[in-house]
Amino acid sequence: MNIIKIIGIGFLTLVISILLKDVKKEFSLYAVIVGTSIILLLSFDTLKNIVEFLENLTRNLKGDFIEVLLKMTGIAILTEYAVSLCKDTGETAIASKIDFGGKIVLIALSIPVISSTLEGLTKLL
Amino acid sequence: MDINLLFKIAGIGILVAVLHQVLSKAGRDDQAMMVSLAGMVIVLTIVINEISDLFATVRTVFNL
Repeated sequence: MNIIKIIGIGFLTLVISILLKDVKKEFSLYAVIVGTSIILLLSFDTLKNIVEFLENLTRNLKGDFIEVLLKMTGIAILTEYAVSLCKDTGETAIASKIDFGGKIVLIALSIPVISSTLEGLTKLL
Repeated sequence: MDINLLFKIAGIGILVAVLHQVLSKAGRDDQAMMVSLAGMVIVLTIVINEISDLFATVRTVFNL
């Protein structure tokens, strides 16, 4: 994961979006969207190795908690991506709605985990 | 793949802005509007391809 490349692309996007801001206002948003998604795609290559390592580590564990955990991190990453983009342009209303939706999806995803842990607890007691 | 996308967007943005100015000064406002719309559509296709790549990668990495 060469951090230099990521910082370079970040600065490049910054310069391009500032340049486009006074030439044409909406194009700076497109440049920011493409730049941030490029940086995310770059960091996903190493993230894939980490995720595979985690999966191998917990292969023999009972229950699919690692599956739900990975899904949650994926959802959190995407939600944070959208929220920061909306906040960047000043649209905090949209950002808060996306955040709210993301929280609902996360809670819905965690219901089975909670119920299975409760069952385990009641068996113990 | 990644860097020249940014340059492409910057280039299209500047080109559209310049053409818009030139056409509107020449009195053809409707064509100026057409040019800016065309530029926006081109850039939007680039952005949408990039975002679909991002979502596909997230889906495969975290098997959502």
